[in-house]
Amino acid sequence: MENVLCLNRSTGDTSVACCMGSLRTRKNTCGVSVQRIMATVQVSEAEKVYVLHGVRDDLRVDGRGCEDYRHMEIETEMVSNTDGSAKVTLGHTDVLVGVKAEIGKPRPMVPDEGYLEFFVDCSANATPEFEGRGGDELGMELSNTLYKVFNNRYSVDLKSLSISPGEHCWVLYVDVLLLQCDGNLFDAISVAIKAALFNTKIPKVHISEDEEGGKEIELSDDPYDCMRLNVENVPCIVTLCKVGHRHVVDATLQEKACSVASLIISVTHKGTVTCVRKVGGGSLDPESIFEMTETGKRVGKALHAPLMELLQEEESLGKKRQKVGFLDTTLIVAVSHCP
Amino acid sequence: MPTDTKRVRGPEVSQSPSLFLWKSAAKKSTASNDARVDGRQRGQVDVRSVFVRCGLISQAKGSAYIEAGNTKLICCVYGPRETERKDETDMKSGRLITDMRFAPFSCRERGSWIQGSDEKDLSLMLLESLRPGVCLHKYPRSQIEVNVMVLENDGSVLAHAVTCASMALADAGIEMYDLVLGCSIRQEGATYLIDPTFLEENGCNLASGSRENLGSLTVAFLPSLNQISGLQSDGEMGEDTLTGGVRTCIEGCFKLYPVIQQALSKAVRRKAPPSES
Repeated sequence: MENVLCLNRSTGDTSVACCMGSLRTRKNTCGVSVQRIMATVQVSEAEKVYVLHGVRDDLRVDGRGCEDYRHMEIETEMVSNTDGSAKVTLGHTDVLVGVKAEIGKPRPMVPDEGYLEFFVDCSANATPEFEGRGGDELGMELSNTLYKVFNNRYSVDLKSLSISPGEHCWVLYVDVLLLQCDGNLFDAISVAIKAALFNTKIPKVHISEDEEGGKEIELSDDPYDCMRLNVENVPCIVTLCKVGHRHVVDATLQEKACSVASLIISVTHKGTVTCVRKVGGGSLDPESIFEMTETGKRVGKALHAPLMELLQEEESLGKKRQKVGFLDTTLIVAVSHCP
Repeated sequence: MPTDTKRVRGPEVSQSPSLFLWKSAAKKSTASNDARVDGRQRGQVDVRSVFVRCGLISQAKGSAYIEAGNTKLICCVYGPRETERKDETDMKSGRLITDMRFAPFSCRERGSWIQGSDEKDLSLMLLESLRPGVCLHKYPRSQIEVNVMVLENDGSVLAHAVTCASMALADAGIEMYDLVLGCSIRQEGATYLIDPTFLEENGCNLASGSRENLGSLTVAFLPSLNQISGLQSDGEMGEDTLTGGVRTCIEGCFKLYPVIQQALSKAVRRKAPPSES
């Protein structure tokens, strides 16, 4: 089956002509329609070749370079019942993170530290495949990776979460909800967690001893008297997909279907690597892994500074901030006009 | 979660005595600086000597047993069997199902029979490490089950599970591109400990050693194809340390390769019918 692909690469608008039956389709398809909002897509051989050739020339289907992210929107303080929350939209991937701080017993091995608990829920809103127990596997994989990413002494200052050593400590329950799935879940989740932890306000506690020697914990009455976390060292995850001989950052579902293996690398703002993991059913050359690690480190490091700036800017706006919420304003208008 | 009604657990505020045993063991291990507890060297590719044997379990299609220091694992392979789910993807290539479990008596603390999230994570890593090595396209509409049971956990369990599983697959006659070997390393500051024991993997978190570069790394490698099929790292490392660690693990895998090859050829000769002449 020989297909002659003539590519007209103008920004965003690509048309492909196949010599078999002269199929002309617009916008990154090649006879096979790419269904959005699905956990997996089917790609034809010709489409794979198209994507591979593009990546080789550093031009992806939607016009990005190999190391460019899609348009990312971050908003914090979305959910009022949580101690901290954030929503990140990366292309069509939507992730909502809520952080709740509760008082619990510290772990026996480390009595003077608090800890974090992660839970990722793949909502059935994202794709019908996640209905019932379907999303559990993916959710478990994501949670386990998050545990590994945060399993070191520097990401979060756990000692600041301790109230009284051996007895009480703050446990931060970080719950991640996947609302829409369009590839690159790890990156969106890690950025959302960083934003949510930045936004988290833990109430200050005061321990008083009563007559019998028992300890009483008092929360301060002022709702604005709270402790903030230092999220400078919280790492961000970068997913690199191996497509052909090169690797791409922030792959869409279509590009992921053309790759055999990906590398997940979590990088702090200083450039230290806290977790590396290879996912996918293919194997990688050691040299590729070294190249991908270097790219991942560079991209990850460059992600932190603008993110912190943005978060601090949003915080400084205070009450004047315009809340966007979950829906786009244009969509609200359209719904209200429906008969 | 079903509770164990046969054991008397003691009052709510009581703590397990093994916790205190743990802390004293950790203090002992930090005393030595150059030599490791079992006589191996830091900073050198000194893997534990392994004992491997194939074909133990008569019921399974293929099986293997590996012993490295005190880490003991057993693996059996069943298949290729007809797959229950008739997905479109199953029509073209086979499916590999891995399951890794810890026996309750394998670790210091008694584990439970219910698979925890750690075990599920290890099973997933095992699957990702083995899949590139097996020629699944030769087994359409079938599934191959790989079950690993850890009998005693004394460190680098995932690495040895990968080696054991690929040996069991070879013993079962499943077509593979290459053997998959695993090796793990524990990075501590400037030096590394290859093939760490359980105490070395966990104990040094409590010790106030160097603050930089504390982490562990597991690599699954295909030696004759020079491909890495599995990679997992933990803790905090610089990029150069990570690269160096991967290269060291690859060296460790090469050291293990001749032993595994020898064990496999012995197993094949044992299975083969005696020659006429």
